[in-house]
Amino acid sequence: MTIEVSSLKELVEQASGDDRSPDTQEYFVNMGPQHPSTHGVLRLVLKLDGERVLRCIPVLGYIHRSIEKISEHMNYMNCVHLTDRMDYLSSIMNNWAVSKAVEEAAGIEVNSRIQYIRTIFAELERIQSHQLWWGVLGMDLGAFTPFLYGIRDREVLNDVMEETVGARLTMNYVLPGGLMADIHPNFVHRVKEFIKYFRPKLDEYDDLLTNNVIIQERLRNVGVLSAQTAVQYGATGPVLRGSGVAFDLRKDHPYGVYDQADFEVPVGTVGDSWDRYWVRVEEMRQSLNIVEQLLDNIPPGDFLVKKLNSKIKIPEGRYYSQLETARGILGVFIASDKKDEPYRMHYRSPNFNNLWCLEPMIKGDYIASLIGAMSSLDLVIPDIDR
Amino acid sequence: MGVVTDKLPGALEKVPGGNVLVTRFDEIINWARANSLWPLTFGTSCCAIEMLMATGGPRHDLARFGAEVARPSPRQADLLILAGTIVKRMAPRLRTLYEQMAEPRYVIATGACTISGGPFIYHSYTTVRGADEIIPVDVYVPGCPPRPEQLFHGLLTLQKMIKEGETIREPGVRRKPVISALPEGVTLEDIQGQMKELLVKENVVDVQHAVDKLKWPSGLNERSSGKSDANESGAGDGT
Repeated sequence: MTIEVSSLKELVEQASGDDRSPDTQEYFVNMGPQHPSTHGVLRLVLKLDGERVLRCIPVLGYIHRSIEKISEHMNYMNCVHLTDRMDYLSSIMNNWAVSKAVEEAAGIEVNSRIQYIRTIFAELERIQSHQLWWGVLGMDLGAFTPFLYGIRDREVLNDVMEETVGARLTMNYVLPGGLMADIHPNFVHRVKEFIKYFRPKLDEYDDLLTNNVIIQERLRNVGVLSAQTAVQYGATGPVLRGSGVAFDLRKDHPYGVYDQADFEVPVGTVGDSWDRYWVRVEEMRQSLNIVEQLLDNIPPGDFLVKKLNSKIKIPEGRYYSQLETARGILGVFIASDKKDEPYRMHYRSPNFNNLWCLEPMIKGDYIASLIGAMSSLDLVIPDIDR
Repeated sequence: MGVVTDKLPGALEKVPGGNVLVTRFDEIINWARANSLWPLTFGTSCCAIEMLMATGGPRHDLARFGAEVARPSPRQADLLILAGTIVKRMAPRLRTLYEQMAEPRYVIATGACTISGGPFIYHSYTTVRGADEIIPVDVYVPGCPPRPEQLFHGLLTLQKMIKEGETIREPGVRRKPVISALPEGVTLEDIQGQMKELLVKENVVDVQHAVDKLKWPSGLNERSSGKSDANESGAGDGT
């Protein structure tokens, strides 16, 4: 397989050359960067034939904050705090990814209490992220009510996590070598209450959106992504699993204490928007199961392995570590030159690869379907640009 | 009727055959502007979740402040809530959006990034260090990201500024920008209690105070000497 690299100008010129029929006139439309349904500042250059999408070219860089470059001037303890601002809906998992990479490289062993708490928080945040996505998907398709339902339950979970973490969105909870603070004494009790509260709400979600005829019509057989294309484009997370590839790092290469929890990996069959929707709703149920199983077994111990100063030094070499965030595989690449600052820090963000699946998904379909298909990808733009 | 006359800045005049509401046009226009701010949905990064989504949600509910009509088009909006980092590539677009908004337009900068560049202030080759390098900002709301309560605090500050702000005789008069930060060491319950108090205080206009503050023509002042009685008895009657 060959990879062609071309500039936007070339793509536009190339796109205006082909598919020219005598009856209609193709034209270009800029969608974004300020657009309510692109979830941020994504710009899509659409080549349209009437309402049919012929090409869909994403243009990036409207929120590029040079996080990788800033990381080169920071020590490993400080790098963690920039990652919250990448994929802000799975901030603890981002922190964990960097911490995991640093711990593996520097040879820091963490105790099982830390691993338990990290796993529980990661799963809670996965639920939180999917709750928001669920509401926003409804809003993108023109239904405002799901947004209110999703945010309502998100606030309940937010309170539970805020009691321990102290922040609502950018949590900064996981550090290389442990956690910022121990869990609150009320934490276990309140999470149990939340699980009891949220299980019936998931059935309510099904009544409201999943079994809704309009939503089914808007999502079924729209934006079909075949398994082969998904793998070729490097899609991960629910996008890959929706296309029928049962690959989940939590199951296939367990980290944390996922090997001690019994859960299933929901997999779609067709690969349309509906499958991606269903996979995420099922994942919320599975995450509740994981949390429920781990909650009673949190072993005693310290929340920080030892008092770490900021000068963690990593031996010379290249290190790569990855884990499964709410959107797919987040990889952290560190090139070290024996100093306490990384020589090069690179993030393999899940959203970047998922975004490029948009064109093969939507080619030839209506522009209205584009909104639903893009919403089912669950993109976070600052994670794409970093 | 009672509700309206309670909140309108002005005074009720008792005349034979009913009451007449006396007010200044500037006051009533500013009152209307302050209570129906239409924000533009402009969220670039993390703050958008807290500022536009959590505040729009059922718990915090931006609708209480009359500012829930989020518009995707700048031509229909008069409040620009900057939520998230502004980078150099986005800066010209932000300027365009601001210029497309109709006068009078107001800007709230939320979060560390829009105030100063935030965590991306050093060593970043793309971040704009503060949105006020591109457009004028009225209220700064600090935090990373600020809590929804903090945005409300900023919104109330802006409403106050609008109410005391420009008049028809002197258009374009703006107050200096202010930082609207919640004090340290307050709990969530404190914030919500203060919010409730502020909300009541800010949105209920003391009619007597408003009348005392206004400079009426001398004849009017004499006639409305028995004003307090007129207010209490007149509120129930139809005008």
